[in-house]
Amino acid sequence: MSSKTMNIVQSINSTLDYMMTRDTSIILLGEDIGIDGGVFRVTEGLQKKYGKERVIDMPLVELGIVGMAIGMSLTGLRAVPEIQFQDFIYTAFDQIVNQAAKMRYRSGGEYNVPMVLRTPYGGGIRGGLYHSQSGEAYFAHTAGLTVVTPSNPYDAKGLLIKSLRLNDPVIFLEPKKLYRSQKQEVPEEEYEIPIGKASLVHEGNDFTFITYGSMVPTVMNTVSKNNLDADVIDLRTLVPYDGETILNSVKKTGRVIIVHEAPRTLGMGSEISAFIAERAIDYLLGPILRVTGPDTPFPYRLEEHYLPNEMRILKAVHKMQQYR
Amino acid sequence: MDEKEKIIDGYRAMVLSRTLDKKIVMSQRQGRVGFYTPTMGQEATQVGLSMNLEDQDLIFEYYRDVPLMLHRGVKPETIIDQIIGNSDDKEKGRQMPSHYTAKDHNFMSVQSPVATNLPPAVGAAYSIKYQKKDGIVIATFGDGSTSTPDFHAALNLAAVFDLPVVFLCENNKWAISYPVEKQTRSEIWKKAEGYGMRGVLVDGNDLLEMYKVAKEEIDKVRVDGKPVLIEAVSYRMGPHSTSDDPSKYRTDDVKEGSDKDPIVIAERKLKMLNYIDDQAIEKIKVEAKERIDRIFDEREKIAAPKPETMFEDIFENSNWIIDEERGEIL
Ligand SMILES: Cc1ncc(C[n+]2csc(CCOP(=O)(O)OP(=O)(O)O)c2C)c(N)n1
Ligand SMILES: [Mg+2]
Repeated sequence: MSSKTMNIVQSINSTLDYMMTRDTSIILLGEDIGIDGGVFRVTEGLQKKYGKERVIDMPLVELGIVGMAIGMSLTGLRAVPEIQFQDFIYTAFDQIVNQAAKMRYRSGGEYNVPMVLRTPYGGGIRGGLYHSQSGEAYFAHTAGLTVVTPSNPYDAKGLLIKSLRLNDPVIFLEPKKLYRSQKQEVPEEEYEIPIGKASLVHEGNDFTFITYGSMVPTVMNTVSKNNLDADVIDLRTLVPYDGETILNSVKKTGRVIIVHEAPRTLGMGSEISAFIAERAIDYLLGPILRVTGPDTPFPYRLEEHYLPNEMRILKAVHKMQQYR
Repeated sequence: MDEKEKIIDGYRAMVLSRTLDKKIVMSQRQGRVGFYTPTMGQEATQVGLSMNLEDQDLIFEYYRDVPLMLHRGVKPETIIDQIIGNSDDKEKGRQMPSHYTAKDHNFMSVQSPVATNLPPAVGAAYSIKYQKKDGIVIATFGDGSTSTPDFHAALNLAAVFDLPVVFLCENNKWAISYPVEKQTRSEIWKKAEGYGMRGVLVDGNDLLEMYKVAKEEIDKVRVDGKPVLIEAVSYRMGPHSTSDDPSKYRTDDVKEGSDKDPIVIAERKLKMLNYIDDQAIEKIKVEAKERIDRIFDEREKIAAPKPETMFEDIFENSNWIIDEERGEIL
């Protein structure tokens, strides 16, 4: 089995390339994605290979990019719009929430929108208020959207292939902090990672860490540096999240710590905690704890204080250790 | 200030801005600054407009408006503090560089999502009119920004309500890698007609021309209280930002010192008018350089904002959730 060492950018780039060769209905559109290759270079070389009509450099209008992608996806194409930074998605929010998400339902299943909306999200690159947001909860709260976020190059490929074969809209969130931070062997042949299936990236008995996206490496480093005997669950899909993997782990460890970068109030952690409380409260040995970004906008100069880190995760561990 | 002084003063602001621009770009390469969007090439557009403004006017500026800010009297210190994000920065180091706030000169606070400043500018103009206050509103944005829904909504609303807004489109011909010819099939200034307002095209590369046309238009806005769209054409002489590599997409490079450089054009015209000679030019440039170097080195030494400031200004009054999170994090 041959493989290549790649970072997330290369993995997504080569996967788009692979899929575009095989599925001629795939079409890419976004700002600066063609000649410039995208501001993060994720679509580098694709316009050259597939032409300007298939990798479309768009005028500066997110609402139009997503709206057109929906129209394309309603009529035989599989559009992959890129929003340059998730922070700029909001003028397109109406299209996402009221068109894409509701099309299948409102037409009684007559119409569907097989669109994969890609967008970089999260902090860690000194982007300040408007180049750092983690808005996954806005999408997760909307019925009809599948929300996916890979945390490594291997998963990025498998999740993207699967997303590109789904017949419903997918919000594909790319943790930009991890774009180039890690390399991994990625098999050259194709494979799918199922939607709704988490990955147990570390196994242990004392704690269950539930996390995703940019926080996966932070949690993993904390666990290995401190020899924590813990399960680490990388959700990979936020909607629908993998309840079974969560419950199996919680029943084993009884101690749950949820880690995400997005603000605490009504973040993914809120949903997961409620889910666990409803179904496994008898197994819990202590409160469900959340280590998250605070309920403030994302600051520029003080970003290292905003992002959850080892110290804050350990603080939660110590707090949890008081319950026996 | 007489006309001659006013024009020389405008030229001086252009040079000051150019000097600051180069200093910040160089500092970014040296790792002393995180990011920057150079304003090089847009000096004449902004200063020519600014020369017609009054103290009470409100400005909804965008991230490339350093020359406008400096000409209106914002100190280079304010710009540099924001770029560095130090504890003297009015924004408390919260925003990425190039996103200024200067309330003392009636500048609003810059956001990243382009053109989202335009509908609020219209609201501010309504407010001025409703409260029978003096002054007009200036809203600035790039050529790429004319594709956004915000731009179209704002023009329509300003026209519908007869509001004193000057929409200044700083057409530098590029939106990152995307050229203006692809952004729109019509000319930007002509879009005004579709909304029922005046639109004008001006050579934004020429200080005197920009000053003159902006004066005519702004005088009208002050009298009839109706909006105008000014399209000022210039060049983006630098990259989109310090993270951008224009060599991938751009062949129309406009070099500093070339005959398309608005500073070169201003110098030529001011010399023709006998307002200024080579010696005076040299003096202005040397003074600007010394001033900027000194200020930059000084502002760089100022400490970072204290971590607790991250939890301020979410609301007028904090709440228990924020207080608790502050306690957990600090
Ligand atoms: C709504 C939105 N989408 C995308 C971006 C990313 N972006 C930053 S500047 C820019 C180009 C803006 O071009 P233009 O309006 O011509 O202004 P210029 O930068 O040329 O002065 C883009 C696409 C953004 N800031 N806001
Ligand atoms: Mg432009």
